[in-house]
Amino acid sequence: MKNFRTLRFLDLFRGLFESFGINYTVMRRILAVKLTMDGRRTPTIFNQQTKKKKKPEENGFMKSLGIYVLLSLMLIPFTMLGSNFLYQMSIFYGIVMFLVMTSMISDFSNVLLDVRDKAILLTKPVNKKTLNVAKTIHVCIYLIFLTTALTAIPLLIGTYRHGILFLLLGVIGLVLVNLFIVVVTAIIYYFILRFFDGEKLKDIINYVQIGLSVSIAVGYQVLARSFSVVDMNITFTPSWWQFLIPPIWFGAPFELFLKHHSDFYIISFSMLALFIPIIAIIIYSRLMPSFERNLQKLTHNSGGGSRKKHWWINGLVNVICRSKEEKVFFRFADNMMRNEREFRLKVYPALGMSLIVPFIFMFNEIQLNSYAHLVTSKWYLSVYFSCLMIPNAVAMLKYSGKYKGAWIYQSAPLQSLAPLYSAVLKVFIANLFLPIYLILSAVFIGIFGLKIIDDLLVVLVTATLFTVICSNYLKGTLPFSESFEDALQSGGLKVILALLCLAVFAGIHFAITFIPFGVPIYLFILIMITFFSWKQAYRTVWNF
Amino acid sequence: MSIETNQDVVLCLKDLKKDYGTKNVLKGINLTVQRGQIIGYIGPNGAGKSTTIKILLGLESEYGGRVEIFGEEINGNDINYKRKIGYVPEIAELYDNLTANEYLTFVGELYGMDLQAADEKARSLMKVFGLEAVYHSRISSYSKGMRQKVLIISSLLHNPDLLFLDEPLSGLDANSVMVFKEILAVLASQGKTIFYSSHIMDVVEKISNRIILINDGKIVADGSFNELKEQNKEGTLEQIFNQLTGFNEYKALAEEFVSIVQRI
Repeated sequence: MKNFRTLRFLDLFRGLFESFGINYTVMRRILAVKLTMDGRRTPTIFNQQTKKKKKPEENGFMKSLGIYVLLSLMLIPFTMLGSNFLYQMSIFYGIVMFLVMTSMISDFSNVLLDVRDKAILLTKPVNKKTLNVAKTIHVCIYLIFLTTALTAIPLLIGTYRHGILFLLLGVIGLVLVNLFIVVVTAIIYYFILRFFDGEKLKDIINYVQIGLSVSIAVGYQVLARSFSVVDMNITFTPSWWQFLIPPIWFGAPFELFLKHHSDFYIISFSMLALFIPIIAIIIYSRLMPSFERNLQKLTHNSGGGSRKKHWWINGLVNVICRSKEEKVFFRFADNMMRNEREFRLKVYPALGMSLIVPFIFMFNEIQLNSYAHLVTSKWYLSVYFSCLMIPNAVAMLKYSGKYKGAWIYQSAPLQSLAPLYSAVLKVFIANLFLPIYLILSAVFIGIFGLKIIDDLLVVLVTATLFTVICSNYLKGTLPFSESFEDALQSGGLKVILALLCLAVFAGIHFAITFIPFGVPIYLFILIMITFFSWKQAYRTVWNF
Repeated sequence: MSIETNQDVVLCLKDLKKDYGTKNVLKGINLTVQRGQIIGYIGPNGAGKSTTIKILLGLESEYGGRVEIFGEEINGNDINYKRKIGYVPEIAELYDNLTANEYLTFVGELYGMDLQAADEKARSLMKVFGLEAVYHSRISSYSKGMRQKVLIISSLLHNPDLLFLDEPLSGLDANSVMVFKEILAVLASQGKTIFYSSHIMDVVEKISNRIILINDGKIVADGSFNELKEQNKEGTLEQIFNQLTGFNEYKALAEEFVSIVQRI
């Protein structure tokens, strides 16, 4: 285990810790272990990236800081341009709070929620105080790195512009913000654990992870545009609801001290910024013991809690599956995809993106021309962007966190596993693609009118055909039969080929729209092709 | 009593009670354990075995009664008694994204060993178990048996005087089981005390020189296997266990099970 620089820095305060009755040697050792383990986790922020060959001991966390430094660039306008501090710094703190909090929940939950600590460490000669201080220091180290990466550059540029007082206010504000975030996160966990069991909490953490992945991707979009979006001339009109928005509290001190703008609202906001985090910490330390008790729920699940039966799944099964085996596998695949958190983490961000991307393009169009112009255009074809996630998502279907369970396919008395493939793909279309498609369709019909319905149907059939084509990725491997560890995120040539193929479909569709009655005829032809290709794939690609 | 003033008493429980809310898990356990004994601590699921061990290790702090280990009452603040205790938990809980080397030296250092000594000792012990080649691999890549061996090593690294073993054989192959049983016998003959908790009656029957059966939070039998056999007129520990825990419907349940299996 290496000798962490952070810990060597901590060594300077050894005397201080010992004067509080903490066994410094033990605490340092625990921290070294924790930091080593952190380095071996892959932060959520890297989730979307191509997985490289495992290099020995590269610290995932330290590398993820690079991305936060990049994201910090979008904060620069808020500290550099103008001096409308209340507005600018509120947005600054708002973004920082959002990123730190989501990152904390997605990557650091297992630190807050580690139930192994008690069983492993407290059975050894380690006293509770030392363990608690070690845990606190661990969270602090993480937050200091993260916040520094995210704010160092904007703050320094702001200091250059507005003077040293700006830096001082900024740093104090960030410390308070972090305290606030830790407590809020812990209190959220506390209430979730109080009313639900550990599985529910893990689900919620999973959704936050997915949200983080999506918002980072959207963040890149905003990054490119942030200089033009920011309008520094917004005038601030104070009103009561602003008391409910924490970032505004933290923006207020800048207005107060740098512009000597001291009305009732500004002073009250500044007071909140100072006192709420302190009060929150006091409440937190009171709640701590019962929080720890609730944590035990993470290990033993209350079981019970009859799952919601999705009535429509049963109806759907009978409509779209013909053979008995296929129905069995449909229900199985439905349960697998619904329950597997790792699968959701890999695929759902792409779903979120395909919901957002069409609109990003249309916003560009509106900025260039006008809304009226958009409505008469053929931009509804941007619904094809929702198909972009298909190649990757289909490729993911062969992975599972519990891939070892795949022996069941081989040991069961089955003629062919083709029904398994067709069922898995049907579940994919029904559960993952269809919801996105329906939402987009509803919005697009709202924008473009009912005349585009046949076009939208063409897209649906194309997506089905495209799924069959992409299922070639699965050839030779059973669904849910390989470890996510091996998922090389299927980048490269294959996906590019698939996307070219999609572009051709969209191109044909675009051309057809110029032919009278072209779309309905095209739709009919497509349905036939899809029908036969599905049958063909059933006999060849999926059958071995 | 003369026994309790004896300096060979390692562990002494007096009227130990514990409840979780309204549920009484332990309803007054009285127990004195001498040096060099191997105690087989058995009972049905939920009888309170793990709770007892958790209290002894200081994981549960609110309980009634008195717990003395090495002649001193334990309390939340003085943790020094744990230096002479080793523990193998029932669920293989360990930081498995560390390598065996990292995990074992970490545990050794927590018990106050220095890094070098812990490393050497851990390596030699791993070698005896045939795990030398994976000493620097992450524990998450290990099989169940290998993990269990790491846990066993981690519990013995600091040469403890008192061992708590909760289902320590799970996942070990037959040869490793023989080695481990022999290790326990040798340790006991050298004066170590072993508190052995398991559901596998055959093993408990063979290795323990004293068996304690708890049921519903109380001790219902205490003595050597031969003593229990005389008192209960049953042949094996398994049968004694069934009798004392009032479980006699196993045949009826088995028949019901099979009849359901045979339904079409």
